[in-house]
Amino acid sequence: MMRLRRTLPFLWLVSAALGLGAVLAVRVAPRAPAAAPPAPPDAFAKKGVAFLEKHCLACHNAKLRRADLSLDAFRTEASLLAGRKTWQNVVQMVRSGEMPPPKKGRARPTLEEVESFTLLVRDVFARADRGARLDPGRVTVRRLNRSEYNNTVRDLIGIDFNPAEDFPSDDIGYGFDNIGDVLTLSPVLMERYLAAAESIAQRAIVVPLPKPPQRWVGSRYLEPATPKAYKWRPLPPMGPLHSLHPLTMAGDYVFRVRVYAELPDKAPARVALLADGKQLKTFDVTATQKAPAILEVTVPLAKGPRRLGVTLLAPAGAKAPTVHVEWFNLNGPTDTRPPSHKRITAFAPGKPKGQQTREVLRRFASRAYRRPATNDEVDRLAKLVEASERRGESWEAGIQLALQAVLVSPKFLFRLELDDRPAGPGPRPVGEHQLASRLSYFLWSSMPDDELLALAAKGTLGEQLDRQVARMLKSPKAKALTENFAMQWLQLRRLKTLSPDPKLFPTFTEQLRNDMLKETELFFDAIVREDRSVLDLLDGNFTFLNARLANHYKVYDTNGGEYGKARAGKDGQPFRGETFVRVTFHDGQRGGILGHASVLTVTSNPTRTSPVKRGRWVLEQLLGTPPPPPPPDVPELPDSEKAMLMGSLRQRMEKHRTNPACASCHARMDPIGFAFENFDAIGAFRTHDGKFKIDASGTLPGGKSFDGPGGLKRVLKGQKELVARNLIEKLMTYALGRGLEHYDKPAVDKIEAALARDGYKFSTLVTEIARSAPFRLRRGKEETR
Amino acid sequence: MSEPISRRTVLRGLGAAIALPWLDAMGPLASWAAAPRTGHPAPNRMAFLYVPNGKNMADWTPKAVGASFELPAILQPLAAHKNDLLVLSGLTADKARAHGDGGGDHARALAAFLTGSQPRKTDGTDIRAGISVDQVAASRIGDQTRLPSLEIGGEHGAMAGNCDSGYSCVYSSTMSWRSSTQPLPKEVNPRLVFERLFGAGPDAQRARRDLKRRSVLDFVRDDAGNLRNKVGLSDRRKLDEYFSSIRDVEVRMERAAKLPPVLAPAGPRPAGVPASFQEHVRLLCDLMVLAFQADVTRVITFVLANEGSNRPYREIGVSEGHHDLSHHENKPAKKAKIRDVNKFHVTQLAYLLTRLKAVREGDGTLLDHCMVAYGSGNSDGNAHNHDDLPILLAGRGCGTIQTGRHLKFAKETPLNNLWVSMLDRLNVKVAALGDSTGGLPGLGG
Repeated sequence: MMRLRRTLPFLWLVSAALGLGAVLAVRVAPRAPAAAPPAPPDAFAKKGVAFLEKHCLACHNAKLRRADLSLDAFRTEASLLAGRKTWQNVVQMVRSGEMPPPKKGRARPTLEEVESFTLLVRDVFARADRGARLDPGRVTVRRLNRSEYNNTVRDLIGIDFNPAEDFPSDDIGYGFDNIGDVLTLSPVLMERYLAAAESIAQRAIVVPLPKPPQRWVGSRYLEPATPKAYKWRPLPPMGPLHSLHPLTMAGDYVFRVRVYAELPDKAPARVALLADGKQLKTFDVTATQKAPAILEVTVPLAKGPRRLGVTLLAPAGAKAPTVHVEWFNLNGPTDTRPPSHKRITAFAPGKPKGQQTREVLRRFASRAYRRPATNDEVDRLAKLVEASERRGESWEAGIQLALQAVLVSPKFLFRLELDDRPAGPGPRPVGEHQLASRLSYFLWSSMPDDELLALAAKGTLGEQLDRQVARMLKSPKAKALTENFAMQWLQLRRLKTLSPDPKLFPTFTEQLRNDMLKETELFFDAIVREDRSVLDLLDGNFTFLNARLANHYKVYDTNGGEYGKARAGKDGQPFRGETFVRVTFHDGQRGGILGHASVLTVTSNPTRTSPVKRGRWVLEQLLGTPPPPPPPDVPELPDSEKAMLMGSLRQRMEKHRTNPACASCHARMDPIGFAFENFDAIGAFRTHDGKFKIDASGTLPGGKSFDGPGGLKRVLKGQKELVARNLIEKLMTYALGRGLEHYDKPAVDKIEAALARDGYKFSTLVTEIARSAPFRLRRGKEETR
Repeated sequence: MSEPISRRTVLRGLGAAIALPWLDAMGPLASWAAAPRTGHPAPNRMAFLYVPNGKNMADWTPKAVGASFELPAILQPLAAHKNDLLVLSGLTADKARAHGDGGGDHARALAAFLTGSQPRKTDGTDIRAGISVDQVAASRIGDQTRLPSLEIGGEHGAMAGNCDSGYSCVYSSTMSWRSSTQPLPKEVNPRLVFERLFGAGPDAQRARRDLKRRSVLDFVRDDAGNLRNKVGLSDRRKLDEYFSSIRDVEVRMERAAKLPPVLAPAGPRPAGVPASFQEHVRLLCDLMVLAFQADVTRVITFVLANEGSNRPYREIGVSEGHHDLSHHENKPAKKAKIRDVNKFHVTQLAYLLTRLKAVREGDGTLLDHCMVAYGSGNSDGNAHNHDDLPILLAGRGCGTIQTGRHLKFAKETPLNNLWVSMLDRLNVKVAALGDSTGGLPGLGG
């Protein structure tokens, strides 16, 4: 076996003191390395301008304006600060080596020159940020996305279905589908909103109400069973005649029985109607066969199987009466309104109709708008109902129409944060109801519940923030964090659309695909629910497996399959069944999301693994240090080298990196990806790729070596600050619904410090984000772009 | 998702509708056929079909220019339609180039394709491209049909992540831009396309429902009118989007009430997304034909697959992802597979053209009254160049296009010049569109 252990070309290392952290930390965001020395006040005017003149201004001057960019006005630090966006771009282009382009007769900057120039520029911004005024930023109003719409309707109406099924898919920005700026509202979507509102309103309020269902049972079908075909069946002297009714709705039922009596001594027969063995009402029956009587009782019955009956109460004896029964009739519930209908249309009795209508509409609109509806809003809705009634529709149909109007209103569809002085200066706290929505959509992807709304109405939600966050994280609704945040952050939603080659990977089935997703969901859920360290994402030594996935991983239960205590190993019994069980690893290889088949598949090509994609995924999703995109014109390798492009994937890729245009970034990506080569393109363990033995060793720029996923995880764990910071930034982007900007840096710094102090606990991460200035405050007057 | 259905099943249903002499049944359309000289000629339509990741250009571009050219390998499936199309070489989507914005050629290629505008490089804040040619057409002639335009696609928008080097996924999955800030999502599910064209229920029900909808929309507009003053600038833009969507829906309902009823084809309706990609694309093609035939719309955009799509094409033995393959590094084996994928896509175009030709309309076929543009905003997927794009134009555009030729234009001729010329043929005169510098000469012969 060939074992290549080359130290890869290393371009980004600034100084040995920065070490691996700096290597992995290359990123375009304006974050200066901690070790950067404070630059003298006018460093840019001197050194920076010199670099510009030497390498940039030949094209990017006011006259030529190549790429619509002129840099010659930037001569001082102050001028840099005024053109921040431009300079972010400049730093990125210079750093990635894309600019200045190679040109004959012109020397390109050395790596040291590039490093010191970009550090210089970033330091200008870093110093400016340290003295900056608080700016909490401003999020663009957010339209509910598909999952938020579904969840909100579920919590608003109390019916869980999928009304957003036909909506066009939501657009993605910054990796998430809840970014205000990106979520657009097209005419097609508007039509779908109208249709969804109709179907929701029709489920919530039923017009016209169905008649109460009637259930008839002829006496020959009553229990106890009889072989005789009675029309009139005598009541047995001992015990009742009865029948079982499975009821799907609770409510008031009318129970009727048709009878007559034979009365030897003229005294009436005493009978009772029963429900589940309990006497409901007694009757004295004197009716004759010519004129039978109907016994009737109205009784509240619970949902479920109910046994109704009739029994004779008179003492048995020679002169005892005989009562004959023709049929049972159970009619009900008398009120056929579904629970949502009752809840929405409930009102205080004894008030004028107009007030009742307004009570109903105020309650509904206040929940739908997630803030108290104004009198004016309620009045308008009430007029809509009244107009509909004037057209001859029922009151309920009018309420239904008002519901539709609320459900297509921008006040429902958008999370509006109304402000009476939108252009007022200075940061100000968002209102209490706005805070309630920010929290509930962050943690639940849904509207605030009654408790949040009540606290907001009292104005005490802000004070109770920590307690409420803790409560919300414990709610089952917090699963939304896994489904919507984690699955998007880790890019796993993509797994649903991938199709590994069925010839090469015949074991990849729809079921296995779902199992893969389920594993990661359960894993992330466990971190949320058990309030574990977020670093467990990297190397937590547990996971959740069912038989199929365990078989895919070739791990066995070495602990006798006891629920919740399974230990995975190479020997032991196979896992059984569809149900996922919690499993502890003790080999250090699979633990953490890097060993999840979901992640390993989503970072592979349909036919083979892609160390580049895996490496890039780690850099981008876990460390937040995405490599720059490949330079646009990758020169072809000369033919002589093409001929040498043989051997294992690894050997071919290492050859590829001899191209200096590619080497710098691939030196960062590829070794990370190679560490996972023991996992094939659908995450199964392997020791060979075709005829080549797997070599999972690697050396990162900077000299750190490792072998296999366990080794790489240790290296990553050494970068826990980066991992934590990246997670903070991703979760904050999701929480705020906007990309992070340079002015968010102080908030992120603060959260990072608190998280480290608190053992990286997940709840601390969430609580600190909820407490942060960008989450609690809103910028006043907007920057003009 | 609904049960996948076989396209054949649907076609049996739709086929009946196509065979049905709709000319007799459908109001004003009938007059074009019955009396082609009375000033009601069949209308001209435009469609744009996009395929991602560029082409294997060596097997795309015909060697000879003019009327006597041979179809190269990729265009072979179009042999039966050679006289109904133009191969247009040398066109450039300049705004798909970086111009200082760095990587992201896939996102830019699709976003610039119909707009001729440089999309703003952003992962979220302030997405912006330009109005696309189909929407210019829709805004001018859209009032003559039930739907101003139809946007469809073979793939949903990206499920996650940053799609292309710092560009929001909007760019690489959207072709149609209603304004520079409002991308129009495409409909992927054939059932929903069908319902959009022909309604979910009978017309009588629709009229009643629309009446209610109108009262709801009236209410909402009045009720929300003052919101604009209580939000910031960027919020206002979103609210404006909302209100303009409301207006669109209202206009559409008014039009539906005025226009003669459209008869929904009898038989089974599409139930959902077919499992096979080819069946899916062809079902959408069938719906395009129906939409044009019934004159429900005259403007359609169809993104067969998102730009940068990494879908494998196992139906033709390509199990690698399309995008991965398009970085072919000039390896013959990979280039051969790219060619096969390109050819597969062209086969679907051939299918569409066949269907359009099968419909008799007035003095010719439906295809004679169409302009179907087909192509990609990337030329060679490996080089990511945006000049010399692979572009076809099929259909005679109501006799305004002399087909059956390969035209070669001067280097750097803007692709948007073609769009301007197509607009012209719909009687939509524009001074310029995106980076156009005029019309494209010579289409009419």
